[in-house]
Amino acid sequence: MRISEVYFPETIAETLELLRANPELQLVAGGTEIVGSQPTRSIALERQVASIVKIKELRKTVRTEQFLELGSCTTLTGLRTLASGTLPEPLYDVIGGIANHGVRNIATLGGNLCCKNRFMDLWPVLACLDAQIELRSAAGARWAGLSHLCGEDGSPSFPPATLMARIRIPLFSYNFIFVRSLGGNALPGPHTATFACMANLGRDKIEDFRLIFAGTKAFRLKEHEMAVDGRRRGMKGREMQSLVDYYTDAFSSQSWYDQRLFASLAQEAFERLCS
Amino acid sequence: MIVDINVNGEMRHLQARSGDRLVDVLRDRLSIASLLPDCLSGRCGRCFVFLDGRLVQSCLLPAFKAKGARVVTFEGIADSPEVAEIEEALRQAGALPCPFCRTAKIMAIVDLLERHPLPDEKAAMEQLDMVSCACTDPISLIKAIGLAADARSKRKFNRANK
Ligand SMILES: Cc1cc2nc3c(=O)[nH]c(=O)nc-3n(C[C@H](O)[C@H](O)[C@H](O)COP(=O)(O)OP(=O)(O)OC[C@H]3O[C@@H](n4cnc5c(N)ncnc54)[C@H](O)[C@@H]3O)c2cc1C
Ligand code: FES
Ligand code: FES
Repeated sequence: MRISEVYFPETIAETLELLRANPELQLVAGGTEIVGSQPTRSIALERQVASIVKIKELRKTVRTEQFLELGSCTTLTGLRTLASGTLPEPLYDVIGGIANHGVRNIATLGGNLCCKNRFMDLWPVLACLDAQIELRSAAGARWAGLSHLCGEDGSPSFPPATLMARIRIPLFSYNFIFVRSLGGNALPGPHTATFACMANLGRDKIEDFRLIFAGTKAFRLKEHEMAVDGRRRGMKGREMQSLVDYYTDAFSSQSWYDQRLFASLAQEAFERLCS
Repeated sequence: MIVDINVNGEMRHLQARSGDRLVDVLRDRLSIASLLPDCLSGRCGRCFVFLDGRLVQSCLLPAFKAKGARVVTFEGIADSPEVAEIEEALRQAGALPCPFCRTAKIMAIVDLLERHPLPDEKAAMEQLDMVSCACTDPISLIKAIGLAADARSKRKFNRANK
């Protein structure tokens, strides 16, 4: 078993100093993804590891009229408590569907979004909600959308030697939200994914439509979203079906997930949107 | 490395390697018998501890993450009125867990009643879902949780003998 050097930074500045000295440093927040995916008695870690969960700056919460800003080490239990009555109900339900209460007591929001080899459940939902993330590295601090963590081929692409410090979730909400997590509350694997679709239903038009499906890869098509925006709310039959087909045709080029499952979710989302 | 952890009210300085899970360090160095790790992935509950007051699976925690924390295992609450009430309620409801999952189920119920003094069925089922067991019927467990909640509130509000 490799013995790793473990660091306990107490501030973001100390973490950045460690990252500068060793860009390969492994950040451990809750550790549930890192540890839960290893069936062996002894846990394999990188040579150098930093436990960041006790950093106070990463556990702060700020609430304004426009947004909820959370430190990345907010636990999922903490997030669920804050979300109750603040964030759209489907988001509250998604958090409650992650793992189980014991795991959520340890797992963090940042860990859910920063997973290196796949997208976890909160990524597509928060991306639909236009959440912003603050990324800190030796080069400085910047705010970005969650799409920043997705490469051109749809795979996760977390920038190296970077700490996610804060997550800002806008409080304006959509009046149409459809979210389904596939695969139950088990540790996510190749056959799990989350489908999120949101829009604003005006008096007679669909606006701000967005649809994201994410698992081992992420799927979002801006031109398809634009094709839905501005359509009549009450569209029926052929018009709706042509939009479903437009999406499922585009998804047929994706080989990472069962296309029939995607097609049935898209069908259900559009039927609800138009009902 | 040495990890300082307060275990059941006593400060311990435990030798651990970076890849050691908290559950193994507690079992191997302190011979804590209530921990019976099985799945090592957060699904069976047989390694439950309270970490700074929150119920967690200690198999998911590298031991170094418990540095400076307060850990309470089943042994730390075994003599409490809460556990006595839960054991009595399990007996009354005929939901007697086997030795393999007994402490996990009791820890889960202690935590549940702490957060929801009068839990509804959904909350109770969600909590029990953390302890894998296909042999006790959930209805009798839910009944036991109701009885334990009753006993707890009677004790808390001094209604025990009224
Ligand atoms: C039994 C079980 C069931 C689960 N079920 C679900 C489920 O249903 N849905 C789901 O989405 N997930 C699930 N998970 C996966 C996981 O627990 C969660 O996604 C969790 O939110 C990860 O958070 P963490 O703090 O434990 O991450 P960690 O394990 O600490 O880290 C995960 C990754 O993110 C990186 N990281 C963490 N924080 C930061 C940061 N601030 N900046 C930069 N990088 C960072 C780490 O280096 C690592 O690569 C499950 C896990 C288990 C064990
Ligand atoms: S051994 Fe920890 S939950 Fe199963
Ligand atoms: S009663 Fe113990 S595992 Fe079912």
